Amino acid sequence: MFDLIIRNIMNRKVRSALTVCGIALGIFAVIVMGAMSENFHQTFERSMSVTSDKIRVFSESGVFGGGLTEDKVSDVLRVAGVKDAYGLLMTTFDEDKMGMTGKQILGVPPEKSSVALYPVDLKAGRFLNPGDSYSVVVGSNIQREYKLQIGSKFEIHDKYFTVAGILDYTGSIFDNAVIIPLETAQDLYDVGNSVSYIFAVPDERIDAEVLSKRIELSVKGTSTLSPGELEVQARQSFMIFSVITISSGLLAAIIGGLCVMNTMLMSVAERTREFGILKAIGAETRDILLLTLGEASFMGLFGGILGILVGSIAVYIMNAWLANTRIVLFLITPRLLVIAMLFALLIGALSGLYPAYRASKMSPMEALKHA
Amino acid sequence: MPEMGIEEDVFETPEKPEKDEPTLNLENKSQKVIMQVENLSKTYFQGKIPVHALRCACITVRKGELLAIMGPSGSGKSTLLALIGTLEKATDGNIILDGTDLTSVPEKLLPRVRREKIGFIFQHYNLIPTLSALENVELSMRFSRVPKKEREERAKALLEELGLGDRLSHKPSELSGGEQQRVSIARALANKPAVILADEPTGEVDSKTRDSIVRVFKELSEKGQTILVVTHDPEVAKECSRVLRIKDGTIKDY
Repeated sequence: MFDLIIRNIMNRKVRSALTVCGIALGIFAVIVMGAMSENFHQTFERSMSVTSDKIRVFSESGVFGGGLTEDKVSDVLRVAGVKDAYGLLMTTFDEDKMGMTGKQILGVPPEKSSVALYPVDLKAGRFLNPGDSYSVVVGSNIQREYKLQIGSKFEIHDKYFTVAGILDYTGSIFDNAVIIPLETAQDLYDVGNSVSYIFAVPDERIDAEVLSKRIELSVKGTSTLSPGELEVQARQSFMIFSVITISSGLLAAIIGGLCVMNTMLMSVAERTREFGILKAIGAETRDILLLTLGEASFMGLFGGILGILVGSIAVYIMNAWLANTRIVLFLITPRLLVIAMLFALLIGALSGLYPAYRASKMSPMEALKHA
Repeated sequence: MPEMGIEEDVFETPEKPEKDEPTLNLENKSQKVIMQVENLSKTYFQGKIPVHALRCACITVRKGELLAIMGPSGSGKSTLLALIGTLEKATDGNIILDGTDLTSVPEKLLPRVRREKIGFIFQHYNLIPTLSALENVELSMRFSRVPKKEREERAKALLEELGLGDRLSHKPSELSGGEQQRVSIARALANKPAVILADEPTGEVDSKTRDSIVRVFKELSEKGQTILVVTHDPEVAKECSRVLRIKDGTIKDY
């Protein structure tokens, strides 16, 4: 039957090609949108893994509300069960681009830089040391973009910093981080002794969720985000992002599926007499189903392969183009490829179901009378 | 004849008839009677009005007979053929073909009956336009799950026998009307059916081609192939071993 299926597809070259293109376009959208979602997912997972041991303490009015100063660090430290606490100042590196590039300045007390960044390791150099003021530790993407080396000069907000350390690639937000001493950051951005949030490290014997609530109750004017809450919040954002990106891809693929259904319905209508002949010479219902469903599935398969191929090339080109700006937006994973291929096959087969059913249910006599 | 091998209860041999009804004694006289049509009727409804396309037809066909069915248009010839070919369901009556009562075969087993007991030849040839002559002949064997090599050999042998050895890879559009009809004869013969049903097989060809088709039918008949030919052409009927006339759904001259 396989050869008959392929031949039927090849006998209607233009129509089959257009249908395959319809599916391919849908799968292309699935690949591009899916790659965006996969990249976001990977960054999210890795970011969670490198920051999941700390409780974030914010001002009651939120991270952008201000009002959280370094004084609160000692209040947090006094809460039973807090092993360590330190403030961090976070701001966008390239204010002119509204932070769209994802690069961030992270003001960290120099003596805490290694623990604040744990478990991220250094690729070269060292973390910040007490007494450092115009030293900087950069993430791997920053290092590559600005071609930095240990000892290089790096301009931040009209001041020159010396690169003291370069972080390993993590696939997380730290790849785009520019880490400078907290005091220098506060001076540079003229925010007094304000901090964006405080990292509270829980004692090993205490539950982070319990301690989080305890901090909130003990330190006036603060709210906290425990590792668990952070994960829930981040997962919700991730879910919304994924639903938006994936569903737009799926929508395109469903339109491709309707293309297949339309083509198959036309094909079945045109071949009514042919199905009558096949039935008269002894074709079983399953033979007719196999022929029509097979055609639809093969068009799904070809469309899937083409869509994945073109989508992957497009993602590669876009990533290469965006490499200059260090915005990595797309990531193609084996999981995404498998999902896209299965989806293409499913769309093809599902779209072929109704036409196949119609073909298989034809009365041979009526079909033979068809002009 | 190929082995049917379908469930015994479906394809069982009819009960042995009384001695004075020799035509039903298929088990013992299968060499002589291949088909028995008993009181076969078909009534259509046009809205609420019944149209009797065929009334109580009774026919006995012996193995190797070349039987012509004649009659004016709309007389019920094609209906009779469609009923025997299981393309339509009878309103009443029985068709016993090669020991199987076709009217009691469940719907889902009818394709197998068509494959293994019946061969069709149509007026308009009804070949699949995208397939070559060889592939068209192979087609019904595909549905019988005959292995590729065997079906290729058999299709080739049939086409060669019918004088189309040099036309194996030609598509129907590359063949003359007579050649197309010979391809459809080969296709009908492919599964070695009990009976071939030919519906106006010479309706679309010139007299020379008609004569060659009739000659093929006669040769097949002489070799023991039973053939029922619906025709308007007296020249075709003249060459048949027996002629059956139908008028207004009733067999008039038998």
